[in-house]
Amino acid sequence: MQPRRLNGVLFLGALLAAWEIVAQAQWINPLIVPPPSRILRIFWEQVSSGQIPAQILVSMKRAAAGYFLAAAVFIPLGIFMGLSRRIYSLFEVIVEMLRPVPPPVLIPLAMLFFGLEDEMKIFVIFFSCAWPILLNTLDGVRGIDPVLVNTGRTFGLSRLKTLWQIVLPAASPQVMTGMRVSLPITLILVVISEMVGSTDGIGYFILDSQRRFKVAQMYAGMLSLALLGYLLNQLFDLVYRRLLAWHWGMVRGRE
Amino acid sequence: MDGVKKFNWLGWSACALLLCLWELGSRAAPKLQLYVPPISQVMAALGQLALAGPIAKHLMITVGRFVEGYLLSAAIGVSLGIVLGYFRIVHSFLETLIEFLRPMPSVAIIPVAILALGIGDSMIVAVTVYATVWPILINTLDGVRRIEKILLDTGRTFSLARRQILWQIILPAASPYIVTGLRVGLSIALILVTTAEMIAGSKGLGFFYPRRRTLDEQRGHVRRYSAGRGPWLHAQSTVSRRRSEGDALAPRRDRAGICLRCSPGD
Repeated sequence: MQPRRLNGVLFLGALLAAWEIVAQAQWINPLIVPPPSRILRIFWEQVSSGQIPAQILVSMKRAAAGYFLAAAVFIPLGIFMGLSRRIYSLFEVIVEMLRPVPPPVLIPLAMLFFGLEDEMKIFVIFFSCAWPILLNTLDGVRGIDPVLVNTGRTFGLSRLKTLWQIVLPAASPQVMTGMRVSLPITLILVVISEMVGSTDGIGYFILDSQRRFKVAQMYAGMLSLALLGYLLNQLFDLVYRRLLAWHWGMVRGRE
Repeated sequence: MDGVKKFNWLGWSACALLLCLWELGSRAAPKLQLYVPPISQVMAALGQLALAGPIAKHLMITVGRFVEGYLLSAAIGVSLGIVLGYFRIVHSFLETLIEFLRPMPSVAIIPVAILALGIGDSMIVAVTVYATVWPILINTLDGVRRIEKILLDTGRTFSLARRQILWQIILPAASPYIVTGLRVGLSIALILVTTAEMIAGSKGLGFFYPRRRTLDEQRGHVRRYSAGRGPWLHAQSTVSRRRSEGDALAPRRDRAGICLRCSPGD
């Protein structure tokens, strides 16, 4: 593992060095590709001056609102659709009709209703996170081993208790899968919606830098976005492992 | 959802009920009509636009870019994924780079692409390819690495040539993963094409649609309707024949061999 890691880091370093040399020698248009050293310097300036953190904070608020709202609505819906055939067929057609709409296409519609404010972005994120969360939850609930539910019934658990103590835990790995799939979608959509209609946020920051030809600043914005995505992923993993520690224990036990 | 099954009366009637509510609601409140014109008017506008031509023209442009970008990224993603999955050493060199680039939301690449390629077809296709390659690449890579060693060893024992191992063992064994990647890529490609057109396009649905937003709300609704419905229509080809814009769309997609249902983040 260690030498492999080293390989990767070395390669990345070599690539950056090559980039630096090419950019410094001006073999390619420096307007389009500034040297990495300059990008890093600008990145640091923007971070220490609070510009990038402020933009990221704005974006993250929108992202979190849309993401958790979608979870709050669609996890319960998915559970009910998974439990009851009737509820499932009630919503099936509507879901199948709305699901294939590519979310960016909703932005103009959302602008119409919500204007250019936060609500527009939150709605778009909410809509696009909805489907992976809903479908995964649904799958998870449907895939529950009937023995589990029947055991609960044998012990005379009430409906509510069955829901809390059997259905929800048994479906939770799948629910978390849905949440994980939605995470990058959230990030993409917050950036898109800020690029299309906004005056702040990291997506706007990047596009605005490009339009004003502050190219190094644009790359700095992208760098911060990459770091943000990486951190969010790590954070999710951490929460995932904590929350579902028992699940991993079970998987290990089976092996 | 579960293959062949009987007609879902409940679901379709719920859907019809919603559409009726839409129609009645917007007819009852004239003020609301500015935002939500009755569905009948939306459908009429769709028919009009489809007959007049602009929607089909823009649709074809969008679909053309989509197909081009998607096929390119499939070719790149699958071949690169197989190379990376099979040759550990290559993967070890690129691993860190991939880990770094992957979490960045792919739309962030649009400004760079505009700088480098201007605002034409090539920019839109390039952006689409960049974003769509990721899921295909990662899934293929995963699939190839998960192939049981016994399979490969058996192939070697029977002294298969490298090419035979590739075609007869690696590709079939990894194909479920590859298909998953292709499927995820489908929705991402559609997202990226429309987004790139919205931000910097001069043709195509993504461009046409927000531009008209201020002029004619009904047409905006139409655009949303057809953009979203395209792949869905295609997947359920019997339905697609009934709808005017589906006819323009279906044959082209068919030729491209894309027959998966598309949904964001599926």
